[in-house]
Amino acid sequence: MKKLLTLVLALVLCMSMFTASADVEKPEKITIFIDGTVVTEPNGQAQFEAKWEELTGIDLEIIQPDHDAYYDVLQQQIASGDWPDVLILSSTYYAAYANEGVLWDMTEAWENSATKNSGRMKNESVIDGLKINGRLYGFADGIGGGCVTYVKKAWLDAVNMEAPTNWEEYAAMCDAFVNNDPDGDGVKDTYALTAAGFIGTEAPYINYLPEFYQDAYPSFYMNAEGKWVDGFSEPAMKAALERLAEGYAKGWIDPTTLTNGTKDCRNKFYDDTTGVFTYWAGTWATNLKNNLISNNRDPELVPLAPLAGAPGYFDRTPPVWAITSTCENPEGVFTWFIDTILDGGDIQFLWTYGVENVHWSRKAETVLGVEYAEGQFHMAENLETPGTAYTKNHSDPVSTLAYFADGYYTDEFIDPVTVMIQPENVASSNLFAANSRAAWLVPSTDVMSTYNGDLTTLKNELIAKVAMGEMTYDEAMAEYAKQGQAWSDMIVESLNAAK
Amino acid sequence: MSNAVKVQPRKKPLLPRIKNYAGFYIMALAVLAFLVIFHYLPMFGIAYSFTKYTIIKPPVWVGLKNFERLFGMPNFWSAFSNTIQLSVIKLLLTTGFSVILSLLLNEMNNIWGKKLSQTIIYLPHFMSWVVTASVFQLILSPTGQGLVNSILMNLGIIDKGIYFLGSSATWQGAYYVINIWHDTGWGTIIFMATLTGIDPGIYEAASIDGAGRWKKMWYITLPSLANTIITVLILNLAKIMNLFESVFVLQNDAVMDVSQVLQTYVYYQTFNSGGIPDYGYTTAIGLFRSMVGLFLMLVCNYASKKVRGRGIV
Repeated sequence: MKKLLTLVLALVLCMSMFTASADVEKPEKITIFIDGTVVTEPNGQAQFEAKWEELTGIDLEIIQPDHDAYYDVLQQQIASGDWPDVLILSSTYYAAYANEGVLWDMTEAWENSATKNSGRMKNESVIDGLKINGRLYGFADGIGGGCVTYVKKAWLDAVNMEAPTNWEEYAAMCDAFVNNDPDGDGVKDTYALTAAGFIGTEAPYINYLPEFYQDAYPSFYMNAEGKWVDGFSEPAMKAALERLAEGYAKGWIDPTTLTNGTKDCRNKFYDDTTGVFTYWAGTWATNLKNNLISNNRDPELVPLAPLAGAPGYFDRTPPVWAITSTCENPEGVFTWFIDTILDGGDIQFLWTYGVENVHWSRKAETVLGVEYAEGQFHMAENLETPGTAYTKNHSDPVSTLAYFADGYYTDEFIDPVTVMIQPENVASSNLFAANSRAAWLVPSTDVMSTYNGDLTTLKNELIAKVAMGEMTYDEAMAEYAKQGQAWSDMIVESLNAAK
Repeated sequence: MSNAVKVQPRKKPLLPRIKNYAGFYIMALAVLAFLVIFHYLPMFGIAYSFTKYTIIKPPVWVGLKNFERLFGMPNFWSAFSNTIQLSVIKLLLTTGFSVILSLLLNEMNNIWGKKLSQTIIYLPHFMSWVVTASVFQLILSPTGQGLVNSILMNLGIIDKGIYFLGSSATWQGAYYVINIWHDTGWGTIIFMATLTGIDPGIYEAASIDGAGRWKKMWYITLPSLANTIITVLILNLAKIMNLFESVFVLQNDAVMDVSQVLQTYVYYQTFNSGGIPDYGYTTAIGLFRSMVGLFLMLVCNYASKKVRGRGIV
C-alpha cells in the first residue's frame, strides 16, 4: 500500500513539475553550498546524495565546509567568483547578499511553485516574512524558532505561587525565588534567572530576557506605519531598562549575567542556582528536562505565556535556501531543488529524516538499548557520535512549513512525529507558535554597513551600564544623543529610502 | 718600498660555486617562497585600504575617504589610546615582574626547588587565553563563589562583591593582574639565561671584598641584566599594536570604553555591522596600525642605537 502511494505521489510530483515547468529545463547538475545543518560526510552524506539523485535524476554536487567556518569559506567562495547554484544563508547574510545582487529573485517562481499551491502549507507567512522590499530571494523549509520562558514547577510550589501572568506577579515570583529559599537548602544562594548578557549578539537580540524587554526593541524595526525606526530611543526602551536595573539591583538577575555564556546559564539552571530560564522552544524542552533529571532535580517545567501587555516571543528569521544570480538555469534549479524540499512525499521525508537504514529504520532491532519491533519507525544510532541517536536530518519535523501529502502516512507507516516527539516539546512548541511574532528582516544598506558596528557597540554598552546601575537612563540617552543619534538617523533614513 | 704583488685569490666560476652549495640554495628557495607568498604578496592588499570593497563587487577607488572616516570616529581614537595604554603598562609590568622573579629564582640554592619553581611559573603561559579567561571569571566572580570576593567579604573588607571584570573602574587592573600571572613566568626565561652567563668569579671576588647578597644583586646582577632588560623592552615595544586575544576574551559590553583596542575594533566593525563589512575600511585600520607599529620600531631602533650602540634592525 505504502509503495503504491509513494508511486502515485512520485507520479503526481513529476506531473506537477512537468506541468509547472513545461518550459523549464531540467538541470543536469546542481551545486549546493551548505553548512552543517545538512547531513555531514561522516554521518552518511554520500548515501543522502545518492538517494536524492535517485529521486530526482539530477547529479548533486555538495560543498560543505566546516560548520563553524561556514561563512568565512562562503565569503571566500563568493570573492573567488566561482559561485554555487544554491546556498544556505542566515538572515543577516541573506539580506546583505540580496542587497548586493548575489541572489536570484525567486518571487515569481515561488508564486507559481508546486509547494505554494499545494494546499499543504502550514505557515506561509514565514515565506512572506523573507521578502525584502516586496521581493523574495530565499526559501525556508521551517520556522526560525525562538525562545520561551521555562519556570521550575518545584520552585513555584516551594514559594506557594502560580505561574505569573503579568509583570507584578513576575516580579513577586523573582523576589520569592531569591528570598524564600525555593531550593530548600536553607541557604540564600539562588537567583531568579540568568542570561548570556543583557542583550543578545544576533537578531532578535532580546529573546533571552523577554519579560524585561517586553515591547522594547533596541535595534531597527518596521513600525505599524510601515516605517523603519530605531527602537533604542523609543519610550518602551526606558521602561525596559528600568525593569532590568530593578531586577539586577534586587538580585533577581544573576550578577554574572554580563560575562555568562549560554552554557553557564544552562548549568546554573541544572544545578538549581536559578529557577527561570528563557531558552529555545521545542527539542530543548526535552533536553532541559533530561538534564534536570540527570542532575537529580525535579524536571517539571512550566512554559510561560507572554506577560499581560507584552507582545509575545520573537520567531527569528529562519536560515534560507537561495539561488545565486550567476546560476545558469535558476528556474530549473528552483523547480527541481527548492520546490521539492517540501514536496509532501519522499524528498521531504529524505530532508526530514535522512536515508532508510542509515539514519532511520523500520527493522526489528535494538538501538541504544531500546528494542524496536518490525515495522516500527525509529532513528538510527549516530554514525559520528555513537551512543546517541539521530533526531532529524535538515528539516525539523515539528517546525516544518508544510504538511506531508494526504495519504503519505498510513496505518502501517505512521507519521514519526507522533511517536518520536515528547509531550514537553509539543507543549513548548505550541505555546511558542501561539504567542510568537516574526522578527524583522532588516535590509542591508551601505550606510548601515558603515555605522552599525559602532552603533551596536555603543547601544550594548549603554544597556549593560544602565542595567548594572552604573548609569541612569537619562545619562545613557544623553551619551547616545551625543555619540550615536546621528549614525542612527542616517541608518533609518537609508532603510526608508531603500524601501 | 715593497715590491710585493697583491695576489687576488682566484674565484671559482659561478656554476661550480652554485653546484657546491646546491643544498643551501634549495633550502633558501623554500624560505624565499615563504617570504614572497606570505609576506610580500599580501602587501598588495594595502591597496584595498583606498577602496570600498565588500568582496562581492570589485573594489571601488575612494582615495583617502576610509582614513577620513577612521579619524573622524570617536571610537577609533578611544581604541587607539586603549591599545597604547594597555600594551605599554602590560609590557612594563610583566617585564618588571619577570626581572624580580628571575632575581629571586637566581638566589635559590636548591637546584630541584629552583627547577620545580621554574616549571610551575612557566605553566600559565601554555594555557590558552580562552581557558585563562574562564578561570579568572570564576576567581573574580562578584558572587560569594568567587575566590577573591569571598576572601574580601570574609575578612570584612567589603560587604558586597566587586565585579572586577564587569566594571570600567576595575577592568584594567584585573587585566594587568591576569597578564602578569599568564606571562611573567615565560618572561623569566631570557633573564635566567643571562643570569646563568654571569661569571661566578665576579661574585666570588665580591664575596672576598665583603659584599652580601643584596650588594651582589644590586652591583653585579642587575647591571649584568640591564642590557637584556632594555633589549626585551625594545623588542616588545615594537609589537604593542598587536593586542587582541587577551583583551577579546576578557572584554564585555559594560567595559568597552576601557577595553576596546584596535584589533577588537576591527572585529566588531566586521561582525557587528549587520551587513557585509567594508573590507576597505577595516584594511585602512590595519594599515594605520602597521604604520604606527613601523614608527614605534624605528623609534626603538633609534633608542637601541643610543643605549646599546647598535640597532635592532
